[in-house]
Amino acid sequence: MLRKDLALGPRSPLFLYAITLPVVLTAVFQLAFGSLFEPEPRLAIVDDGGSALTAAVQDRGGIELTVLDGAAELRRAVEANDVDVGLVLPAGFDEAVRSGEQPPLELYVSGESYASNRAILSVTILDLVREIEGGTPPVAVQLRQSGEAGLPLAIRLVPVLVMYALFVAGAFLPASSLVDEKVHGTLTALLVTPARMSEIVTAKAALGALMAFVMSIVTLLLNDSLGGNWPDVLAVVLLGAVFASLLGLIIGLLAKDGAMLFTIMKSSGILLFGPVIFYLFPDWPQWIARIFPTYWAIDPIWRVAVLGDGLGDVWGSMVIAVGLGLVLVAVVVRLSRRTLAQLGTAA
Amino acid sequence: MRATKGTTMTGPAISVSGLRFTYGALEAVKGISFDVAPGEILGFLGPNGAGKSTTIKMLTGQLRPSGGGARVLGIDVSTDDPELQARIGVCFEEKNLYLNMSAKENLEFFASLYGIKDPDADGVLRRVGLADRASDRVKTFSKGMRQRMMISRAFINSPDVLFLDEPTDGLDPATAAAIRTTIQEEADRGVAVLLTTHDMFEADQLSDRVAFLNAGEIVALDTPENLKLRYGSRSVKVRLREGDGIREETWPLDDAAAATRLGALMTSPDLLTMHTEEATLEHIFIRLTGRGLAG
Repeated sequence: MLRKDLALGPRSPLFLYAITLPVVLTAVFQLAFGSLFEPEPRLAIVDDGGSALTAAVQDRGGIELTVLDGAAELRRAVEANDVDVGLVLPAGFDEAVRSGEQPPLELYVSGESYASNRAILSVTILDLVREIEGGTPPVAVQLRQSGEAGLPLAIRLVPVLVMYALFVAGAFLPASSLVDEKVHGTLTALLVTPARMSEIVTAKAALGALMAFVMSIVTLLLNDSLGGNWPDVLAVVLLGAVFASLLGLIIGLLAKDGAMLFTIMKSSGILLFGPVIFYLFPDWPQWIARIFPTYWAIDPIWRVAVLGDGLGDVWGSMVIAVGLGLVLVAVVVRLSRRTLAQLGTAA
Repeated sequence: MRATKGTTMTGPAISVSGLRFTYGALEAVKGISFDVAPGEILGFLGPNGAGKSTTIKMLTGQLRPSGGGARVLGIDVSTDDPELQARIGVCFEEKNLYLNMSAKENLEFFASLYGIKDPDADGVLRRVGLADRASDRVKTFSKGMRQRMMISRAFINSPDVLFLDEPTDGLDPATAAAIRTTIQEEADRGVAVLLTTHDMFEADQLSDRVAFLNAGEIVALDTPENLKLRYGSRSVKVRLREGDGIREETWPLDDAAAATRLGALMTSPDLLTMHTEEATLEHIFIRLTGRGLAG
């Protein structure tokens, strides 16, 4: 049954919509609020003497670093604009700097590189050389933060995108698949085979959970928000995917036809997406978000995948999500029986 | 009854005793009883709302009976035993196929639900004349082709009992005849067939016995021949030229005076046509229930 639904998927516009929506939304949001289309400055280094500068660039982050073997290869990379700037660090560079020799340092700059990238890389390299020298800077720079403290909007949008991935793929797909089976009478055809309603519903749930899981991971990947611990991320995303698919089953079992399905989806939108609004507006009272059942599915994902917490930090939310999931399972069982009775008594 | 082949059933394939079903206060099926033997085709006739669909839903395990009992292939239909569905084939009046799947994909998917690993989908499609459209999506099929797909789907698990609801509805005469031949072939190999139809010609031609269902009750159950003998009138209608007009006469066949008159008419130059007036199943149904089959 699941194989059939997956095989039919690419023939369904809704299936394609579920797959493309998170990608398109990520692109739109990152374009508007993030840095998806603003790549990091690219620096290539040939380091003959194991300079501390190379390690410092790696530690600093925000720079795409490539370590090459020879100066000729580096020059080719710069000429081809594969990197913005190339730097050759001769053997004994660090020692020469520390002894005050002022060794010459050649920077190869790609003519096609952005001026901003050149400036960032030049300043960063000078700053790091000064660190190696160990001298005192001529001025003391005082940093004063302007604007609110907190995560950038591009990060706070991640729960919105993951929620879309979860509920379009996890809830809408199984719901519409169930409604299609009812509307076209194929559910009745299935029920006069050895297949049981419980198996049909389980297959739809598996479809939703699988698609929601994959699309959520893809969304997190696209937003560079996969946290530090892969197994933990997979666990919380799987929990959210199952939660979403159970909601989808309930909606699909309740809806008699496509029009009713869309009405339910639209009217339940605020219930589904309510909690993620609070991530966008951290000044709002956050306890309100906890009233929404979907909060308990999305919050572990937020904390583990985006903030880098571990499962030990979110177990309370996960227990509540599992508890709510069991309630949803009970509702699904009840609605399945009702659907069976309705099909049997339908003219 | 047709020859029975390839079956191990010794008792009836379908055995119904005092079967009842109520929708709230409405008693849709009122304690009906009948048997269908392996290899037998039972025509189930009645107007809409007579209880045909409800009976079939109970026999196929979709509805639990309110009373009485029924066994299909020895399996109590009120138990949720998948063995029942594994051995029956159902052709619905509604064309409930997967339109975005090809004909072959439809059959292979349904075969997989029966645990059939290597189904002969091409062979089944060949039987209903769709072999050359096996790879085409069902949504491109005409109404008649979809109906043939419905039949082929009912055959995919080589069932021992077939429930066919209006199997030739909407088909052209040639295709309908081909489908009837296929149904007859199934019966010939020992499959019990419960055939629901509004088409009296089809019921008469295919059925070993017919059951008239009205308001949830079986009002008559016998072979078409016996029903006609019992409820029909044996008469002859003749049309004669009379001056510038035409006159009709109807004569009973069992009457001595009629025989003399008909003998004289045979040589009359005014005789235009002469037809026996056999009762049709529809006439018999109307006579028994006071209502037509189509309603």
